[in-house]
Amino acid sequence: MDNHGGWMETAFNTRDPVYLQVVRLFKERIVTGRLTAGEAIPSRREIAALLKMNPNTAQRAYKEMEEQGLIVTEGNSPSRITRDEDVLRHIRSELLGEAVRTFIGSIRNMQVPLQEVIDLVKQEYEVDAKGAPSAGGGGA
Amino acid sequence: MIHVENAHKRYRLRKVLDGVSFTAQKGQITCLIGMNGAGKSTLLKAIMGLTPLSKGSIRVDGVQSSRELYEKVSFIPDHTAMPGGYRLEEGLRFMADYYHSWNEARAAELMTFFNLNEGDRVGNLSKGMAAKFGLVLGLAADTEFVLMDEPFSGIDLFSRELIGEVFSSRLIEDRGVLITTHEIDEIEHLLDRAVLLKDGKVARDIDCEQVRDEEGKSVLDVMREVYRT
Repeated sequence: MDNHGGWMETAFNTRDPVYLQVVRLFKERIVTGRLTAGEAIPSRREIAALLKMNPNTAQRAYKEMEEQGLIVTEGNSPSRITRDEDVLRHIRSELLGEAVRTFIGSIRNMQVPLQEVIDLVKQEYEVDAKGAPSAGGGGA
Repeated sequence: MIHVENAHKRYRLRKVLDGVSFTAQKGQITCLIGMNGAGKSTLLKAIMGLTPLSKGSIRVDGVQSSRELYEKVSFIPDHTAMPGGYRLEEGLRFMADYYHSWNEARAAELMTFFNLNEGDRVGNLSKGMAAKFGLVLGLAADTEFVLMDEPFSGIDLFSRELIGEVFSSRLIEDRGVLITTHEIDEIEHLLDRAVLLKDGKVARDIDCEQVRDEEGKSVLDVMREVYRT
């Protein structure tokens, strides 16, 4: 177990609703494999303390995640990440699409031919893959 | 619910409060924001019945101020009211003698949380430690509402973070919290509501998440709009 699951290092920005930032945080963790299908997540109270945020906001974030089908809560047992493959795939394509759109937005004004961009992406991607440790589940 | 309605207050010729109305709900953190002299402290004192209003009314769960109020609402002033010669343990005993709602176990828990030493004297505490001791005194009682006057003013970043941590913990639980501040800094994401005072009136009364959601603005953005015009 790493130190509090790395939740403590989270910083919020002040202009986006905090509850949506929390939802986003969970999505990122799911996509990167730090949270896996069916895994139990901290209670609302625990997450509020870990992220040092208002418990009402934690409550709202969990409600939003339930509505989006991201987490499932049954009776009194802890909430869990969904096992629904469709939902999990959807989150992955949502985050990936968003990142690619941001990237395109930032280079659009440079008028670069697509092929050049693709070549560059490929090159950087391979360099990055060599430098980084092999991908795996948990943290340090 | 704390309900302040049409509060007016004059100090000699100066109108400090000129028809202020707002509510602070249980289970929520409400922040009164205003520049120095905007009447924030006056409002907290008025809620506690420590200063009379020139006009207007204040009700806590529907009841106008009474003696029972002190068991229901705790007030943490911006400077400690304890005599400087007291040791912290004597301060705690003093509170236990005066308040039925005093919760000794919670007091001990808070002393540990803030790393305060029972043998220290009140007069020797640094500003940050005095603020923490104030929080121990205010939060240890089993009150339904907690009023804090400038809990973050003049204390170092580390103490601020620790105090911020209290707001998200079960030490606050389902109580209603009303705090005042003139700077929002790192507490902005902890707030449910913000009431911005200007020229003795409520300039804006916002649900913080709603403003972020609908207007894409932080509380600080709203403060800039209100105080820079």
